[in-house]
Amino acid sequence: MDFSLNEEQRHWQMESRKFSDEELRPLSLKRDQIEGGFEPWNWEIIEKGSRLGFRTLAVPKEWGGPGADFVSQALVMAELARGDSAMSKAFSQNWKWSHLIAAACTEDQKERFLKPFLANHRYVMGRGITEPNAGSDNRLPPEDDPKAGFRLRAERKGDEWILNGEKCFIANGSVGSLFFVDARTNPEANIKQGGTLFMVPKSTPGFRIGKVFNKRGWRFYQNAELIFEDARVPHANVVGNVGGAAATSKGDNTGGDLFGDLELAANALGVCDDAVGMAMAFSRSHKRAGRYLFEHQMVQLKLTEMHALTEALRSFVMRVAWLHDRKETSANAGLVMNYSCDVIQRVTRLNMTVHGAEGCLMNARVDKLVRDAMVWTHLAADTVQRMKSFRKLSGKKASAGISGD
Amino acid sequence: MYDLHLTPEQLEFRDTVRDFVENEIKPAALHPDRLQPFEKPLLNDLVDKASQMGLRTLALSEDAGGAGADGLTSCIVLEELAAGDVDIAAVLHHTSLLAHALFDQLLTASQRAQFLPKFAEDDRCHLAFAGRDPGAGLGWSYHRAPAAEGGAELAAKKQSNGDWLITGSLPFVANAPIAKVFVVQVRSDAKKTGASGMSTLLVPRDAAGLAVGDSPEATGPAIRWHQGTGASVTFKDCRVPADHLVGKEGQSPLADGMLLAHGVPQMAAINLGLGRAAYEAAVDYTKIRRQGGRNIIEHQAIGGKLADCAIRLELARNMIWKAAWAFDHPDAVADRSLPGLPLHTIARVYTAEAVNEVTLLAAECFGAMGVMRDMPLQKYVHDGFVFAHAEETDDAAKLGIAEAVAGYERPLAA
Repeated sequence: MDFSLNEEQRHWQMESRKFSDEELRPLSLKRDQIEGGFEPWNWEIIEKGSRLGFRTLAVPKEWGGPGADFVSQALVMAELARGDSAMSKAFSQNWKWSHLIAAACTEDQKERFLKPFLANHRYVMGRGITEPNAGSDNRLPPEDDPKAGFRLRAERKGDEWILNGEKCFIANGSVGSLFFVDARTNPEANIKQGGTLFMVPKSTPGFRIGKVFNKRGWRFYQNAELIFEDARVPHANVVGNVGGAAATSKGDNTGGDLFGDLELAANALGVCDDAVGMAMAFSRSHKRAGRYLFEHQMVQLKLTEMHALTEALRSFVMRVAWLHDRKETSANAGLVMNYSCDVIQRVTRLNMTVHGAEGCLMNARVDKLVRDAMVWTHLAADTVQRMKSFRKLSGKKASAGISGD
Repeated sequence: MYDLHLTPEQLEFRDTVRDFVENEIKPAALHPDRLQPFEKPLLNDLVDKASQMGLRTLALSEDAGGAGADGLTSCIVLEELAAGDVDIAAVLHHTSLLAHALFDQLLTASQRAQFLPKFAEDDRCHLAFAGRDPGAGLGWSYHRAPAAEGGAELAAKKQSNGDWLITGSLPFVANAPIAKVFVVQVRSDAKKTGASGMSTLLVPRDAAGLAVGDSPEATGPAIRWHQGTGASVTFKDCRVPADHLVGKEGQSPLADGMLLAHGVPQMAAINLGLGRAAYEAAVDYTKIRRQGGRNIIEHQAIGGKLADCAIRLELARNMIWKAAWAFDHPDAVADRSLPGLPLHTIARVYTAEAVNEVTLLAAECFGAMGVMRDMPLQKYVHDGFVFAHAEETDDAAKLGIAEAVAGYERPLAA
């Protein structure tokens, strides 16, 4: 078994590490501590990273993108997340949809959307699935309730579709130029047969951004409401078939579920590396009762645990990335995503324990890592996400849910 | 005799405070406009209202004008208050605890006559304890003599006319921003170390030479990490007359840390209250939120989490009440009813861990809303982390328990 990286993979790891250390980390806490939902966002850093290829990393070379493989993508996500988890996600969020465009879009759609995406350093994308009454129901559609799931309605009118309804918590919602939106084209059928995926550019008539959510963790990362009031989307913007929304994420490793799973796990790995680094440095330089923390057994046990968990996650993440590159699908992507939640929350928590509170103050970055880690609970490992993994393990044919925050 | 009945008075007290929390505290403390910003200034109006209801003088004897609540009753009440707002509960707890110690136990008759009327009449007269917890961090010297102390300490020199002149600075004193009287621990004999050579002085806020500094902020490289309100306090040749000495010179009645120890189950009760609030919010929500074809409380996965929450909260409450009762009944160790262990530390450490888990489980039931700042769950999670990662609940506290288990008697500092 050869765990070494090839030259291209190593290149991406080193490039992203440099960008993370020199550009992301210095901004990280500052942006995170800005009040508000939208305000922590910063276009300059997106543009800087875009110029190095981090916004378009997954776009295939034949389309003018860097065409990095999954192993490289995982390495980059981890390195960037080590500097700032939310900023890393802001970049990688776009790779997900560039996978999808490459796999499921027509040549015409690629012309109209992939080209501007590549050309414009501020072109970011998101997917609108979640609604106030449909979160878990999209990920794990209940078999005995076909009407469950997203309700945003799309009705055909000539050469256009008229969309009415709302989405919430949509990633890049406040800053995106293009959204992939899941709408109900047949309210009588379940979301697998009754859902269709539309490409909705920001400029779509009848479409607007609503509330921008103010979050406890991942504050830089943008989540917003998308509001559709008789919004008019051309039929040429349907991705795949009408009634084929689920097909665009079912089982494939070029967008939707499986990339999203790897994405969260790789990001978590970077945060864990940061936490381990912080804990080791702190315990080497701070004393309790006249001895360095590093010398206290209670602390040593924690540091060891942090390392072991992080290394286990690293091995699992890189193996799943390697499987993706070989186009082998399994339950592992979901499992590594679930596992990454347990690891990131335990490791960031242990980092907080090692630091402790001194004089009724807590190191702000230590707290930030814990807050960012909380996002994994509902994105990566709530009970529905774990039961989805079970579905894959049990060999049960997945009633295709739709994911991809 | 094993009796878990609450008295009718305790039940009425609990119900009254619970109503006050539902009707007055929660609407203010949990309003989205308050939840979103990082800074959350103390809700002074509600502290005042609570004071008017008698919650500032909860533990003060009825003779002195208080409610005469014992430790267990204080725990019951503080849990209720904390389910509304942790900071309001902490502020009232500190004043109540100190008031009982001073006016019911430590002050002379003439000191009582001097200080009690002002305290009793003024709903805004809060107290603060300016001194270090002698037990803080001792666990790091596990099974060894304590390392040479480096912590901040105040010093006081007796003047020829009997006055005391206080100098020094403490980085954080709970209640300092609102206290009108400070109970100050000073080293009055520089030749002695540790707990001996300490004296306790009463210092009114307006004494010349006393300055209350800024409170820790919620942003910056290090962030506010405590309950209630607090700030640094600096003494620059701060003069108080001889009759402000509490107890004997050089033999401070508070030097053994027992006063603060009595407060530990009560702070744990505050910790418990926030956990209960998170859990109750989750129970209410999961009964109405429909996903997966039914109200989500009907899914095994959610039921399992709520059960985990209920178990932890019940256990925490049991331990807190037991520790509080033990302080109210000090003979219960001598007569072998209770073990000779630091039950208050056990209660504090367990509750901190348990409530941290409860808040996280509760937040998970809310999906994405568990991380949205305009909703309460993320605040409960944050408050739970603050309790769980305090100087008093880290490994040092556990090691203190271990030393008691081992029967270790620490030699005095070298």
